[in-house]
Amino acid sequence: MDLPAGTRNYTYAQDMAILRTRTHWFLFVLLLVAIFTAPLYWGNYWLGVANLIGITIIAAIGLNILTGYCGQLSIGHAGFIAVGAYTSAVLTERLGLPFPVGLISAGITAGLVGMLFGIPSLRVKGFYLAISTIAAQFIIIWVINHWTGVTGGFVGMRVPYASIGGLVFKSESSQFYLIIGITCLTVFFAKNLARTRAGRAFVAIRDNDLAAEVMGISLFRYKLMAFFIGCFFAGISGSLLAHWIGYMNAEHFSLTTSILYIGMIIIGGLGTALGPILGVVFLKLLDQLLTVQLVPFLESTFTALPAGFATGIAPMVFGLVIVLFLILEPRGLAHRWQLFKAAYRLWPFSY
Amino acid sequence: MAELLQFVITGLTVGMVYALIAMGFVLVWKSSGVANLALGQLVLLSSWFTYGMLVQVGMPLWAGFIVVLIFAVLLGWVIERFILRPLIAQPILSLITVTLGVAYFIQGVVVFIWPASVAALPRLFPVEPLHVGPAVVSQQYVWAAVISLALFGALSLFFRYHKMGIAMRATADDQRAVQACGIPVTRIFSRSWMVACVLAAVGGVLMSSIGGITFGLVETGLKAFSVVILGGLDSFLGAVIAGPIIGLAENLGAGYLTPLTWPGVREVIPFIIIIIVMFVRPYGLFGEERIERI
Repeated sequence: MDLPAGTRNYTYAQDMAILRTRTHWFLFVLLLVAIFTAPLYWGNYWLGVANLIGITIIAAIGLNILTGYCGQLSIGHAGFIAVGAYTSAVLTERLGLPFPVGLISAGITAGLVGMLFGIPSLRVKGFYLAISTIAAQFIIIWVINHWTGVTGGFVGMRVPYASIGGLVFKSESSQFYLIIGITCLTVFFAKNLARTRAGRAFVAIRDNDLAAEVMGISLFRYKLMAFFIGCFFAGISGSLLAHWIGYMNAEHFSLTTSILYIGMIIIGGLGTALGPILGVVFLKLLDQLLTVQLVPFLESTFTALPAGFATGIAPMVFGLVIVLFLILEPRGLAHRWQLFKAAYRLWPFSY
Repeated sequence: MAELLQFVITGLTVGMVYALIAMGFVLVWKSSGVANLALGQLVLLSSWFTYGMLVQVGMPLWAGFIVVLIFAVLLGWVIERFILRPLIAQPILSLITVTLGVAYFIQGVVVFIWPASVAALPRLFPVEPLHVGPAVVSQQYVWAAVISLALFGALSLFFRYHKMGIAMRATADDQRAVQACGIPVTRIFSRSWMVACVLAAVGGVLMSSIGGITFGLVETGLKAFSVVILGGLDSFLGAVIAGPIIGLAENLGAGYLTPLTWPGVREVIPFIIIIIVMFVRPYGLFGEERIERI
């Protein structure tokens, strides 16, 4: 059903391939070319938006592996991103280590912290796990805010530009290549992870962890692995965020950010490779539309708006979007995209 | 010594208010299996609404409180009818995250209508402090504890004798059996949300009469989570006992641990307790351990 008409499999390799037809390959190359030539015709402003989207996609993919595939709800994702951001910031700024070292150790540190707070997942699930990840978020942020000697406390700390060897990623467009490059690698990894032994184990655990254990899947191993991978990507994303913004304090990593991440993967579609990308792009563009385009326009048109309009409208709309998606389209945008593809392939005889 | 007594009294009294808010959570969890993560935001919204009625509209105290209670009941009805009713029988993941969406929405509404981040309610209780032995306690704390205790009493009578209360306990016990008896389960869900919102409103008013209305009220709701985790998710008794324990731990910790660690240790103590409980006894003091079958 998933295949275009007339496409047949003669080998297992063909059956497993992601890109099947010549049209697939053509569209794929076109997409890559379009993405990597974007700095030529996009202004700095939209490149900045694209960078933020890329960074967010990495973290959302991590959360999707943890929550979407493995079913372990984490409401502390922003906390794990913060761990990565500060690890990288401290290593490069205070200790003067090169950026790649900072990036990798950001991922590993965040992964280890995630594993630590993921240990309760072996005995509890659902709401209990949600609460313990919220607790993780608050404890992490509290440590960051008060460990002044290392993190700069409430004041925050400066973070140098990312650099590899002599190459310094200073301009928006050079950072675009760094960030989008890593994002593409992450997407590739996540897409393939779902097709491996570990990915199938995650899905089995999500659907019924007891049944999975009876079938011989080690819950201890795979749940902690899901926490490690999910938080590893959170750490990578945090590191990129720190070097992109150039300045860190804990305000970037509030509980509302964590909630927004959950919202993104729900809007995109839980447990799909495409979901986090669609969800992040949707919410970030909605954010741009609201705060940059719509609010200034409304404020200049209607003078009698209440004072809290500009700051209050975004959370209201985001909250509403999350609720409406859960009620009306719980499988998210990725499901819509599947329906569209199926209808397109069968056209004009769609049923 | 006076210091210790002071911490104990404030801790116990504030803990009662936490327990009150936590009861609302336990009620909704038991009757409908929904984890209400919007608790803190409900507390925040109802406190600001009280402020709006008493200060901005200028109602007298008694009328203001009646309006607030009606508002809380309506809020509970709206949330249950329009957000959770369509999601009945959905996986727990959706039920948890939908309340997160509600939380986010309410936060936006609060910022939208009341952009000022800090406000104070008019004085509800007498000012002059009470002297308990060597300790000096302001009366607000005592009143908060008294009101919470009175509400606990009223609630336990309600669950013991009122038809609705008995039906709620029955739903918590076995939903299918209740349906078979001809009791409309959806109405039970709706009522339990109303009661939860009213408890959140009362808790919010009590907390904000002590510390003013700030964004920190959201954290009051989060502390109620640590109460339910410690007490056990499905136990009213657990909530009532764990509330004062959390309050005590928070105040004693703030008093004696701050010189040893970093300032602000008070805010994370409930969360550290959550993590410890998760490791040691994940189903809480009085919670029922779920035994699952395939």
